[in-house]
Amino acid sequence: MASRFSVLCFCALWSVALLASEDAYKFDNGAQHATFIELTKALRCPKCQNQNLADSDAMIAQDLKRKVHELILQGQSSEQIIHFMKQRYGDFVYYQPPVNPTTIWLWILPIGFILAAGGAVIFSQRKGSTQLSDEQAKHAQTLLEKDD
Amino acid sequence: MKKFMIFGLPLFAFVALLVFLYKGLFSDPRELESSLLQQTVPHFNLPNLMQVDETFNQDVFLGKVTLLNVWGVWCITCAIELPYLTQLRQEGKHIVGLYYDQDIDPDFGQKTVQRVQQEVQQKLAQLGNPYAFNIFDVKRNLSLDLGVTGAPETFLIDQHGRIVLHHIGDLNPRIWDKKFASVYAGLVGAQ
Repeated sequence: MASRFSVLCFCALWSVALLASEDAYKFDNGAQHATFIELTKALRCPKCQNQNLADSDAMIAQDLKRKVHELILQGQSSEQIIHFMKQRYGDFVYYQPPVNPTTIWLWILPIGFILAAGGAVIFSQRKGSTQLSDEQAKHAQTLLEKDD
Repeated sequence: MKKFMIFGLPLFAFVALLVFLYKGLFSDPRELESSLLQQTVPHFNLPNLMQVDETFNQDVFLGKVTLLNVWGVWCITCAIELPYLTQLRQEGKHIVGLYYDQDIDPDFGQKTVQRVQQEVQQKLAQLGNPYAFNIFDVKRNLSLDLGVTGAPETFLIDQHGRIVLHHIGDLNPRIWDKKFASVYAGLVGAQ
């Protein structure tokens, strides 16, 4: 009984803790909250590079989250906020890379590879036919007969 | 020709991949190109850490080549670079500190300014004081505008208040020679 009670207590406290972390930022409406969640997932922490802002606990990530919150309350759009971050932390800070002469290869290479591979398959099928010449057929026949 | 296609092409592709991946071994993912290079320092209005009724703005960088060093007493690497920065100051370089405190979380209450000043004075007395003065970035807004990711970081600012270099990590003789020395000499020479 006592253990069941303690489990219950633990669950209750745990959910309160989760709610508390969620409620640290206050918003005027649900749409703003949704934008906040979306942006903190799409923006990358400049310090711990394989985490987004929502996941990261680094000081810089907390500062950026606070800034995102502040800008949302000011009524700025997602694009404006992403632009604000890019101006300070470069394209790196946003998970979606821009298309430019350096990054265009990310799109060209896979498509190019598929085209080249497809072309190679078609080319080899056309050329490498399985038709045997008469002489080859005769030779094959003798080999088969020898086997018996 | 066909032989080349069968053996040469995959070999070529393999070698190209090898070179690409080998180069990747030595690339530093933390080395980010600052997006503020060649731009003037963003607008700010912040107090002098040691004398909070005095405030600075971006014009404080005009007329002098400055090294702006982002630091804090809580930062271990900063403590390691302080003696070297002090040496740079003794060589006549103008170094300004951009100080920020870790403790901004309202849940834990803010440290008093006196407490921060005391900590800073202790640290500087112990390891050397390279700073002409310290700008107190109270809410870390200037750091954010400068694209600072943590401490220590150092900016080289020219006499027109433009950011010329942004270095992430500590400043040491090797980094100075490799990254700063020639640029700095160029700026001071032009002054």
